[in-house]
Amino acid sequence: MTIRAPKDFWSGLMFLTFAAVGLMAASGYSMGRGGRMGPGYFPLMLSIVLGVLGAILLLRSLVLTGEKVEPIQLRPLLTLVASVLIFGAMIPTLGLVISLSTVTLIAAFAGRDTRPKEAVMLSIVLTLLSVGIFVYALRLPLSVWPVF
Amino acid sequence: MEVFSNIALGFGVAATFQNILYCALGALLGTVVGVLPGIGPVTTVAMLLPISFTLEPTSALIMMAGIYYGAQYGGSTTAILINIPGEASSVITSLDGHKMARMGRAGPALGIAALGSFFAGCVATFVVSFGAPPLARMALQFGPAEYFSLMLCGLIAAIVLARGSIIKAIAMVVLGLLFGLAGSDVNSGIRRFTFGFQGLADGIEFVALSMAVYGIAEVAINLERKAGDVGVVGQVGRVFPSWADIRHCIPSVLRGTSLGSVLGVLPGGGALLASFAAYTLEKKVASHPRTFGEGDIRGVAAPESANNAGAQTSFIPMLTLGIPSNPTMALMIGALMVHGITPGPRVMTDRPDLFWGVVASMWIGNLMLVVLNLPMIGLWIRLVRMPYRMMFPAIVGFCCIGTYTINSNVTDVAVMAFFVVFGYLCLKLDCEPAPLILGFVLGPMMEEYLRRALLISRGDPMVFLSSPISVGFLVASALLLLVVAMPMIRARREEALAE
Amino acid sequence: MVVGRVMRSLIVAPVMLAVAGAASIAAASGAAAQAYPSKPVRLVLPYSPGGIIDYVGRTVAQHLSTTLGQSVVAENRPGAGGITGTDTVARSAPDGYTIVIMDPAIVINPTLQPSMPYDLFKQLEVVSMISSSPEVVVVAPELPVKTMSELVAYAKANPGKLNFASAGIGTTPHLAGELFKQRTGVDATHVPYKSIGQSYPDMMSNKVQFAFSSIAGALPFTTDNRVRAIATTGLKRSEVYPDLQTVDESGLKGFEVDLWLGIFAPAGMPADVMSKLNEAMNKALKEPDLIKAFAKVGVTPRGTSPKDGAVFLKAEFDKWKKVIEDGKIKDN
Repeated sequence: MTIRAPKDFWSGLMFLTFAAVGLMAASGYSMGRGGRMGPGYFPLMLSIVLGVLGAILLLRSLVLTGEKVEPIQLRPLLTLVASVLIFGAMIPTLGLVISLSTVTLIAAFAGRDTRPKEAVMLSIVLTLLSVGIFVYALRLPLSVWPVF
Repeated sequence: MEVFSNIALGFGVAATFQNILYCALGALLGTVVGVLPGIGPVTTVAMLLPISFTLEPTSALIMMAGIYYGAQYGGSTTAILINIPGEASSVITSLDGHKMARMGRAGPALGIAALGSFFAGCVATFVVSFGAPPLARMALQFGPAEYFSLMLCGLIAAIVLARGSIIKAIAMVVLGLLFGLAGSDVNSGIRRFTFGFQGLADGIEFVALSMAVYGIAEVAINLERKAGDVGVVGQVGRVFPSWADIRHCIPSVLRGTSLGSVLGVLPGGGALLASFAAYTLEKKVASHPRTFGEGDIRGVAAPESANNAGAQTSFIPMLTLGIPSNPTMALMIGALMVHGITPGPRVMTDRPDLFWGVVASMWIGNLMLVVLNLPMIGLWIRLVRMPYRMMFPAIVGFCCIGTYTINSNVTDVAVMAFFVVFGYLCLKLDCEPAPLILGFVLGPMMEEYLRRALLISRGDPMVFLSSPISVGFLVASALLLLVVAMPMIRARREEALAE
Repeated sequence: MVVGRVMRSLIVAPVMLAVAGAASIAAASGAAAQAYPSKPVRLVLPYSPGGIIDYVGRTVAQHLSTTLGQSVVAENRPGAGGITGTDTVARSAPDGYTIVIMDPAIVINPTLQPSMPYDLFKQLEVVSMISSSPEVVVVAPELPVKTMSELVAYAKANPGKLNFASAGIGTTPHLAGELFKQRTGVDATHVPYKSIGQSYPDMMSNKVQFAFSSIAGALPFTTDNRVRAIATTGLKRSEVYPDLQTVDESGLKGFEVDLWLGIFAPAGMPADVMSKLNEAMNKALKEPDLIKAFAKVGVTPRGTSPKDGAVFLKAEFDKWKKVIEDGKIKDN
């Protein structure tokens, strides 16, 4: 068995995974009866349809030839995801200044040709700007400094 | 004719110094919050609500209306420049708009968006003046069964959006529907797909999803491909659309405007469907549909006209029936009631100054938006020439703030991180996110209407065939499906023959 | 005026930015030592902007600022039917600087939800009830009923035919309908909507036949008789609908549904802070401007002591718990 269309193969697998999660979750909800359709009915149907489509893609990829997947570079992706998660962990307690300067600083290192000095400058400018715009001009409920 | 004297009355009200000022202020504020992530028209109107109680009701409504349609203008700016659609209706604009920006045509894209919106705004203002009562009656014809059929039709139209594999597009719609169902179920109160997280009780936040998939995932892909000192745009071409561009877009703008004007009247998703429908229609009538999704200017003109026309006509159910089409409208109804004005059919007869004043102010507001936005284009396109290594940390930072401030909910930020990975995989695997987004937004509404229709009919599925409107949409859905399937079947046959 | 305010904030922002750090540090260190209230009080509104709570909450914040002598800042923290916002307050320090305004959902949620992040009676306490407002029973215009007793008779003559709308599972309009069914033995199907406002088009076309609606939600449709109001659910007649009988008058003795609002604080506040807050609240509720502002949306101010508030809260909790359990509402 050879994978002839890697893009289709992996997307088929992805859809199948989501369909499986959907099926598992949906089976825990009531299907309803008569005119009163339960909360599980619609998600169950959708999961089945998604599973079928995923399976078609998967099987087809073994027969029809298709495009290769470009190699995945982990550094940019993981750095970006990490920076977002760190922001989420910091923002409720540490305030906008610390959280935002951290996220922009970390994110800057997702690129190949990052210049550290420039990244620091950028993060300072962005933080100042954001505090001005979001906290003082728009008065969004964000704390600027850490709250304990 | 009475309408003309009414319009004259409206301009008399709207063109006072004070009301022009509030109109300009609303439009300006709207543009600003449309461009900025994390603060939309709803929040802005809500923040200004206490201040509005001190104003004359007409001025208050004129300002709030300005914020609402001004935000539509602003939203398309970020969609085009940095591929971050702040609202569902700008998702479509980013498809071709951002591609244009990368080809160095950000200026014409922004220009045509502004001009198309202006034209649509003018036409829609007249639609509101002439057609408000009959259109309001049309909206009342829509019960749960009709809405369900309409949404189904919209979803099938979404498949046509896709450039690549049809199966993938359908799968993405279905996956979007599933994502959309997360959170508390309206019909049973049960929380679905929350996996025990309190923060997911209201479902997946749209802004978190769209900023992750469009904004940050796109950054990850870009970083793999290019060096950091190049801007989003290699070179910047002309600042304004050429005459040829404009001429090329006129039919698209006209079609977009008419679709938007009609669909916008329907509360609950009408204005959003309009932008999708307009794009689909363009792709279907174009002689070379392959250019869509690759930076076709008509792919910006049509949905932008449609969503602006829709934004304008969504005032019809609010002003004439007292039914809110969306949360911003609900706020405006609240504001009017505090002023002792009960929105409904009587507003037109009891307070003609208010009704016609607001309608006339929309035209003035649209004019101001064009005047305000066209000169800004030069500034905007300078921004995209910034080296990418300085641009992308800013995008990530703004996405983070934007997502967090919507509900001050950390779960939303975590959800965004998850969808960055998901969006990245989708981009790598050529699964387009636009159909997913449409499914995501329409999914919960569609299920709600389906279950409500069946609940009211006591489980009889014939309810969907009992009204001509519903039947019409179902037939249209079937035809669309056929149109989509035909080329696929033909291609398959050719493939088979070749082997 | 607005122009000025907005413009000023745009211009002032960079300047304020420069002094922000210094100022906030100074404020933080000075706060603890002085008598309550020495810094702004945060009033959490646990729903999205635009509803009654939002309006009433902002009005209260404005007047409470005057009577408390310290600014009270209203802040929306929507989510999970009010649970998210209430939870943030339940977890805050009981120092009187974080309070929340809530509606009957606060006593309904613990019975309805399978799990709650906080314990209502252990982690929160009533500062004061602030308002009371009846619901109004509205019917589709085609329905040949003009009073509550006619509605009951019609429903009994057409069993299983009627639908009633609500603003979602476990909302007051839903539970009021259930209570009505339980008291009269009427058979009607519950059709939930996202908000009561969304149900009106379906009611006008007779797809749903009746609803227990908030007054603010009903007003646009009852003033011109696009739907018919037939009764209100208070024990006294409503000032908005003085001609309508109450449900109690129409024969269902003691039938009362109140869309009350109250102010809650984290449990364990010092007694002097509690009494100061309660006094300021009750004083604010007597201001003519506030009464006028409340009346516009059909809401009557009603202040209580913390003790009376707690008694009322428990009674409401028990009342809705019984309706939910008798109606087997959690079983679908």
